[in-house]
Amino acid sequence: MTSETLPKTEDAVAARGLTKTYGHDSTRVEALRDVNVSFERSRFTAIMGPSGSGKSTLMHCLAGLDTADSGEIIIGGKNLLELSDDQLTEMRREQIGFVFQSFNLVPTITAKDNILLPLSLAGKKHDRDWFNTVIQALGLGDRLNHKPHELSGGQQQRVAVARALLTRPEVVFGDEPTGNLDSRTGAEVLSLMRTSTREMGQTIIMVTHDPVAASYADNVLLMKDGTIVGSIQEPTVATVTEALASLAE
Amino acid sequence: MLHVALSNIKTYARRYIAVILAVAIGTAFLAATLSVNSSTQATLKNSLGDAYKNADLVAYPDWDLVPGAEELTELGLKDIADVRNLPEVSTAYGLAYADGLLRTADNSYGVSAQPVDPDQGLGGMELIEGRAPQGSNEIIIDASHAEEMGVSIGDVVALENGAISPANYNIVGIQRSTTNPRTSAYALAGMSEKAWQHFSGGQALITEIVVNGDGSDESLKAELEKLFAGKKMADMAVVTADEKVLNEVAQFTGGTDQLSVILLVFALIALVVTGLVVVNTFAVVIAQRTRELALLRILGAKRKQIRSSVLIEALLIGILASILGVLLAVALMAGLIQLLHVMVPEMSYAALALTPQGLAIPILVGVLMTVVAASLPARRAMKLAPLAALRPFDAASVKNRAGKARIIFGSLFVVAGASLLAYGAIQGDLVVAFLGGLVSFPGILMLASLFVPSSVSGIGKAVAGKSTAGKLAALNAVRNPGRTTATATALLIGVTLVSMIMVGGQTAKASLNNAVAAEFPVDMMVSFYDRQVSGAETKSMLEQINGVDGITASSSFNSGYADVDMGTDEMFNAEVMSVDPTSFADVALDPNIVPADGEIVYVLGSPENPTVEVGGQTLAVKNSEAMLSGNIVTEQTFSKLEIDEANQYSGILIKVDSDVNAAGVNELVTKVSAITGVESSMINGGVVMKSMFSQIIDVLLMIVSALLAVAVLIALIGVANTLSLSILERTRENSLLRALGLKKKQLRGMLATEAVLIGGVAALLGLVLGVAYGLLGARSALASMGTMTYEIPWWQLALVLLISIVAALLASVTPGRRAAKLSPVEGLAVE
Ligand SMILES: Nc1ncnc2c1ncn2[C@@H]1O[C@H](COP(=O)(O)OP(=O)(O)OP(=O)(O)O)[C@@H](O)[C@H]1O
Ligand SMILES: [Mg+2]
Repeated sequence: MTSETLPKTEDAVAARGLTKTYGHDSTRVEALRDVNVSFERSRFTAIMGPSGSGKSTLMHCLAGLDTADSGEIIIGGKNLLELSDDQLTEMRREQIGFVFQSFNLVPTITAKDNILLPLSLAGKKHDRDWFNTVIQALGLGDRLNHKPHELSGGQQQRVAVARALLTRPEVVFGDEPTGNLDSRTGAEVLSLMRTSTREMGQTIIMVTHDPVAASYADNVLLMKDGTIVGSIQEPTVATVTEALASLAE
Repeated sequence: MLHVALSNIKTYARRYIAVILAVAIGTAFLAATLSVNSSTQATLKNSLGDAYKNADLVAYPDWDLVPGAEELTELGLKDIADVRNLPEVSTAYGLAYADGLLRTADNSYGVSAQPVDPDQGLGGMELIEGRAPQGSNEIIIDASHAEEMGVSIGDVVALENGAISPANYNIVGIQRSTTNPRTSAYALAGMSEKAWQHFSGGQALITEIVVNGDGSDESLKAELEKLFAGKKMADMAVVTADEKVLNEVAQFTGGTDQLSVILLVFALIALVVTGLVVVNTFAVVIAQRTRELALLRILGAKRKQIRSSVLIEALLIGILASILGVLLAVALMAGLIQLLHVMVPEMSYAALALTPQGLAIPILVGVLMTVVAASLPARRAMKLAPLAALRPFDAASVKNRAGKARIIFGSLFVVAGASLLAYGAIQGDLVVAFLGGLVSFPGILMLASLFVPSSVSGIGKAVAGKSTAGKLAALNAVRNPGRTTATATALLIGVTLVSMIMVGGQTAKASLNNAVAAEFPVDMMVSFYDRQVSGAETKSMLEQINGVDGITASSSFNSGYADVDMGTDEMFNAEVMSVDPTSFADVALDPNIVPADGEIVYVLGSPENPTVEVGGQTLAVKNSEAMLSGNIVTEQTFSKLEIDEANQYSGILIKVDSDVNAAGVNELVTKVSAITGVESSMINGGVVMKSMFSQIIDVLLMIVSALLAVAVLIALIGVANTLSLSILERTRENSLLRALGLKKKQLRGMLATEAVLIGGVAALLGLVLGVAYGLLGARSALASMGTMTYEIPWWQLALVLLISIVAALLASVTPGRRAAKLSPVEGLAVE
């Protein structure tokens, strides 16, 4: 949702004039060209677009995993581009949650320890009630003491979602979080994410290629050639598919 | 599969740097050892064979040729003349040295006179300046001694020896100095054969006739042998100069070269450790290539092909590393010898000698060891199922169970070895104990997988405490127990051996010190064997000695021989030492050896009778085990005894502050030597012996530790290698942690903790083993000497631990920095 008209304080994440280029001269790729975007609090947003349009790059920059060349990114009142690496790391620990497509969990420790990892890295105690709520909601109660390799792909993704929610971050980012799952397990994870927005007020930004996955979101942002080219409110599989088809032309 | 192997090496070159380094160092050690051996031989050849290095043949009387002969042929100038008359002989000279004294205007020096003839090779020497001696009172002197004595051409010096009265000689020439250690100590004077004949007075022997000929060596030899046969000299051996030199070298080094044997043992240890590093590296590299290798299998590669591809890689790496190692060794040795030439110019004959075997053997051993070590992981790679390519590769930890056979054999070795060791220690039998160590240590290494990972993880958990990064590090350290075990074992071997040597050495030192202290009743003893020292002079010396810092008391004694009658039929002569009981009590370490009037403290044997008759007096006997040259009586008793006129001497006894260390003792000896005018090597006593033992043991310890340090160094390279390979393997995981909020510093700390855990725990286990082996070993070696004093050099051991930890920490720096530099996005993108 490119609601630049809305008051800024309502935004969980806002970016202005973001640019990012890879390579030099002949190999030069402009992955992001002057992107202006903001994401409202407590909304579930999907970012879509053709392959190579810059979705992942945008997400990585917004999440403080990668640095944009210029512009500004505001999360929790701070401009990410002005932070040192340590401050950025603390930001990721406390204000940002992640769910990746694969390889989400540290293999040496149990599901529970994985869920608690960002908090324990920060040396903080977790809120027991909130922990139970999240575990309950994700149906992980009986899997907590398993190592990641003893969990199915869907369970692993759910553990990742639980980890992302536990810190009650400003925003949770997902890069094709259901990309490796079958449609039923994918649906489970997606509805969990939607529920967390609805019931817990969690802001979620997700990159996806799948119109079905996008239909779980409150709105869809469309990207092409490194810029935002449109959005769809209350998306359905049909509207998303149509919009993507028109982008491809 | 050669091209696959080659491209693999190219692609993974960086992963092999450490293993190449490790193999190169191991091989270099071996090559250096072998070249020490050949260089020593060459150097000895240069020096021992100095007198006939340009000669063809050497003839000399040899005991071995006539077994049971009563005496050897005595060669004379006449024999040399006969040799010279042979048709094929061009020159011949005899080697003979007549010793004497050379007096200059202000000093006298030892001199060796040699017959030289300028027409007959000048005794194997060359003139530097002036001319050859001709007249009966002309000599030439070697350059370095001429300089030392401050004489030059034109000077007149006096020569004398027991055979002739002093006579003046003119120096007419300077010859080069010999490099033969047997003759280079004295000034070498060359004189004409006639003059030499006179000077030696017929007392010096011609030991060899050195011959140069016109024809072939064979015909020359035949001619000489015929001549000697005709003279009925059956014991004359005629050999080539080269053969003679080899004989000399063998005699000089005692036949076997023990230095080389010892060095070879250490080279072997370094190679075993290197082997472990190689096993580990290949295991890790293959684990990282599981998918790739399995893909090859899917595409149709046979098991054997997979294995040979790995082995070819090992072969290529082995060849490269071994050649590098040998080059390194050659450069090192050449550098050392060059350094020797610069630092000690007199040793200019020291030579670097490389034999083809000395170069080939290390390369062969290095290559073989690399391939054999890699064959284990290669076999594992061969067993890889094609399906492994499709399996996701992020299992939490690899279970590698120690083979049953290994555990059974390991346990057997440990039990058997430990029993032998215990028996050896109790019985004081070093051979049995050594065998026990030799059997039990490999046993312990075989069982390492049972206790190394659990120790690492246990200590890791304890150290990590609440820190998440610490906990993760502890988990990562034992993630692949087999890898951790192999890495730690390599270090453990080195540390065990080093600490064993340290503990054993320290204990030996302490025990020897106590044994010496028990036997020597005085700290320091100065004896005036060579000259009469008046009472007044002694008194002034005592005053000066008492004034020296570190000396608590001193006392004088007189010594002489008296007839002793023990009541048996035989009378004999024994040394009796007279002391002043009051001042002697101050220097005697054992109050029991202070005599009373009319009493003799008997140290030379222990008479059974309560009294003996000494020098005409009946004295009460007090037996003592103390080590002194004479039986002790008071001055008052002594004055009543009949003492032999000859062989009387006096001396001084000194007590040294107990807190003076070995270096301090040396200094005291020098000071006392300066005060008394007695050479410091002639001053003995308890502290002197102690400090000598300490110094010998310290030097031995230092050398052995330095040699073992090579093994430790290789093991530490192994730690760095394993760590960096493991980190490479975990790139994605580390990036995930970074994404989830692990700071750069925390990441580096985590990796450092992992390294320190493996290195530190390996060192710790090695120290425990080393202390046990050291104490048991020292006991079995020294128990027969008397009571043992066990001492553990805590500071040195702590230093070993510290070095291991710091080195492990350093080992983690580069991989840690590389991991931290990677942005989370880049890391996560890695397949
Ligand atoms: N590390 C990199 N180096 C060079 N170019 C890169 C790098 N990462 C991305 N790019 C380029 O930047 C552009 C945007 O890439 P990005 O990964 O953001 O696309 P995407 O929309 O996520 O595509 P996909 O749907 O395939 O994941 C692409 O043209 C890509 O080739
Ligand atoms: Mg992408």
